[in-house]
Amino acid sequence: MKRFLLLTVLLTTLLFAGLAQAEIRPYVAGSLKAIEGEQRGQPFILTFWSATCTHCPTELKALGELVRQYPKLKLVIVATDTPAETPELQHLAQTYGLAGQAQWVFADAQPERLRYEIDRRWYGELPRTYFYDRQHRREGRSGAVPVEQLERWAGEHVK
Amino acid sequence: MVSRLLALAAALLMAGGAGAHGDHAHPGAAAPKVDYAKVWLEKQQTAPRLAVAATFDDRGRLWLARVVGQQLFVSSSVDAGRSFAEAVAVNREPELISADGEARPQIAAVGQRIYVSWTQALPQPFAGHIRFAVSEDGGKTFAEPITVNDDSRPITHRFNAMLADASGVTLAWIDKRDGAGNSDYTGAAIYTARSTDGGRSFEPNRKLADHSCECCRIAIAADTDGTPVALWRQIFGKNTRDFALARLAEPLRRASEDGWEIDACPHHGGALAIGRDGARHLAWFTGAERSPGLHYRRVIGETMTPPLPFGNLDAQAGHPQVAVSGRHVTLVWREYDGRHNLIRSMHSRDNGSRWSTPSTLARTASAADDPLLVTGHQGLWLVWNTTADGLRTVKIRP
Repeated sequence: MKRFLLLTVLLTTLLFAGLAQAEIRPYVAGSLKAIEGEQRGQPFILTFWSATCTHCPTELKALGELVRQYPKLKLVIVATDTPAETPELQHLAQTYGLAGQAQWVFADAQPERLRYEIDRRWYGELPRTYFYDRQHRREGRSGAVPVEQLERWAGEHVK
Repeated sequence: MVSRLLALAAALLMAGGAGAHGDHAHPGAAAPKVDYAKVWLEKQQTAPRLAVAATFDDRGRLWLARVVGQQLFVSSSVDAGRSFAEAVAVNREPELISADGEARPQIAAVGQRIYVSWTQALPQPFAGHIRFAVSEDGGKTFAEPITVNDDSRPITHRFNAMLADASGVTLAWIDKRDGAGNSDYTGAAIYTARSTDGGRSFEPNRKLADHSCECCRIAIAADTDGTPVALWRQIFGKNTRDFALARLAEPLRRASEDGWEIDACPHHGGALAIGRDGARHLAWFTGAERSPGLHYRRVIGETMTPPLPFGNLDAQAGHPQVAVSGRHVTLVWREYDGRHNLIRSMHSRDNGSRWSTPSTLARTASAADDPLLVTGHQGLWLVWNTTADGLRTVKIRP
């Protein structure tokens, strides 16, 4: 019986560990600094997306595939939706193989305030992707990024 | 017992693991669709609904349409927006109404008739119906709303634009009926419908153009002969999202050559005003690298003036409106300076050749709608909805 109990506990722990996934953190003023701090010294991709953007599924699918090819790739995805949609956004990211990646969701009634801090010249078009190199020099791009470009970047930056 | 439990646990673990890591083996087309539907619906339900519509009638009364909950309300003001009479609900049956950013209700006043149109958001992602209602008693009561799109599938019929005069009502919208089930079809289409019986019924839907961009508002204005003219973001070639102009039932002409090649949702339509001389005054946004930002140009016959950039690129200048009266042309747009949402404006007294330096018409520290320019009541007015400061109306010039 004792053995059985122990096993149950062990299995339950394992089960929850298996189900655990990256939480979605609220993205507020200052969050970009936090993200850049967490990624210090390493290249990463920062992608903004939304559940109401018709081109975002293409982008998420491509990123999911890229992460599969390059498991060491550092990726941060930020949904420009609202925290109320967190469970579904999480589920959606999981569907594209992005559950293990760092996830955030806009948590400000004025998205323009967040955009202003992220990039004064980003007008809200989605998807929006930033490629950070090791020194965190970054390059922004609007629209679904062609797969070849994603692969080229990963080939050059993910070691 | 233990082995059975182990097997069960192993099965659960595998299932859990697959879920957690979102295994790439089955990216199944059906699954994301279902999830998108949930987020879409939730977003439609929780959207702030800041987008309003406003117009003056010929007696100088300001009419306002705004969404509260699942109803569209219409009210009027005899003092240009300082105070409003009690609002009248247009749709008695509640429905989800898009009123955010580019998806906006519309209102027009012609004599005793008040016309309103809106997009009903459906539970399916990106799906909607174009809705319309008329009041024949000066806004006291509204007839039962009707659905104007004659394709009734739960797909995109959204971003309603409306133009009305004594001869009738024209609606234009973005419609994906031609692309439904046809993945080779690029973008969406612009469809229109006309009513010549004061909004009691609409003639069959007509396609104005194939391959429009999917999520930018359409601008519509009356030509010198009353014919509606539309300006919208069109997909040229594979994915160049520049602007197109067309008179109702006539072929389109390209109205901007920015060359913005992008697979994205700009959520950023253009603005159009037509002078008595027939000149088309256009304002629009492009993200094209060689000249990003807002631009103005005038189109007279076959001649187009070179695009004039305006607005502060580092302050998210966007969502312009344009108005023309005689040789006076006014542009307004929104900016964000890091602390405030601003409405900026500039004027031309010579039909759009030379322009004043931009100035700030209004500001708010809160979330805000895009600006509206409304002509009437002895001049031109900015109508601007904000969360903290309410509805602002600002007279632009005498």
